[in-house]
Amino acid sequence: MNTLVILDKDSKTKLSEDLKGKVVRTLEEKGHRIEVVELGKNDVSPCLGCLLCLTKHPGECVTKDIVNEIKKNVKKYSATFYLTPVLFGHFSSTIANVMAKGTGSHNWQVIIGFGEDIDDEEKNTFIDITAKHRGKADIVHPGMNSQVDVFVSRSIEDNTIICEALKTYAG
Amino acid sequence: MLDKDKKSICLVNGSLRGQKASSLEFLKDIERRFPDMEYNKTSLTVKAKLKESYPEDILKSIACANAIVFIFPLHNYGLPGSLMRLLEDYYQYIKVGNKYNKDAKVYMIVNCGFFRPEINEEAIRVMKNFSRRLSLNWRFAICIGTGPVVVMTKKVPFFDLKLKRAYAEMVSDIKSNSREKRDNYLIRPLIPAPILIRIKNYYEKKGQMIQRNHKPQQAKE
Repeated sequence: MNTLVILDKDSKTKLSEDLKGKVVRTLEEKGHRIEVVELGKNDVSPCLGCLLCLTKHPGECVTKDIVNEIKKNVKKYSATFYLTPVLFGHFSSTIANVMAKGTGSHNWQVIIGFGEDIDDEEKNTFIDITAKHRGKADIVHPGMNSQVDVFVSRSIEDNTIICEALKTYAG
Repeated sequence: MLDKDKKSICLVNGSLRGQKASSLEFLKDIERRFPDMEYNKTSLTVKAKLKESYPEDILKSIACANAIVFIFPLHNYGLPGSLMRLLEDYYQYIKVGNKYNKDAKVYMIVNCGFFRPEINEEAIRVMKNFSRRLSLNWRFAICIGTGPVVVMTKKVPFFDLKLKRAYAEMVSDIKSNSREKRDNYLIRPLIPAPILIRIKNYYEKKGQMIQRNHKPQQAKE
């Protein structure tokens, strides 16, 4: 099983590095072949909202960056994991740009937000913004399949709990 | 040169679509309701490319404003990445100790591609979280369903009264010193939902969007 892990390299903290290490280890133990892509603010151009990926050349973005390369191989992956810092209950701008362009596996996506100072309302906003509109939504956008799992980590202990949860269905 | 006796309003366009942006139309609508004689107005547009962070003059004009109005399209049920980048940079700018107006009122006008404006709810919550983090004075949102359709039909006489009322409410709230809690405005398009859904379905099919009951193929090993 090929799994892609995308993370925001501009927001590395002790918590995020611990999370990355534990997630990769957990998945490898379950037999996943992992590919980690670390992206920064200047690696990914934002979605222009031109809708040409919808109307003129389906699935293809007008801006050529690393996301286009990821999208070309998206069918290769059984799962995509996004590791993103949470600010105001939202993904980071880098991960927002990556997700808006539909880089995720069509089979299974896991979105893990992290941050030591996320409050309860931000945590709930993050969960709703990611989970509420997937699967049960009227439509599912490209790269967003019905199986989307969302977690939020605020501590090293949370990372361990998340990885334990992953073990139950990452096989 | 800013006139210190006037209220300052900062209007932030969160769309990268240039002149085609529905958000720009809504920005112009709200901007012309504030006379130049009475207000210092600054209009900003988010940027697609930045070498480092947003320039200090942009961040300063947000920090100095008495009222900040964010106008943007819904992306992925949240904020566009480019607007999120501006908020990240602004938050960082404040965190390092730069002064800002803590009494600033915060508003947003969000438009989406869906018929139901309620789908913007999480974007509102993000903006509320932003305001709370910086102790700003969150006021209310105007949520617009199917933004481009509302732009196309807003000149039809007598049909866009709710949108005009929402704009008027925003203007009067900025003028006043009221801290009373306000409700959000939900604006639906004039064109009936079944027609819009047919158009949407056409483009989704054409664009190979994945339908609700899509069964994924086995991933290639």
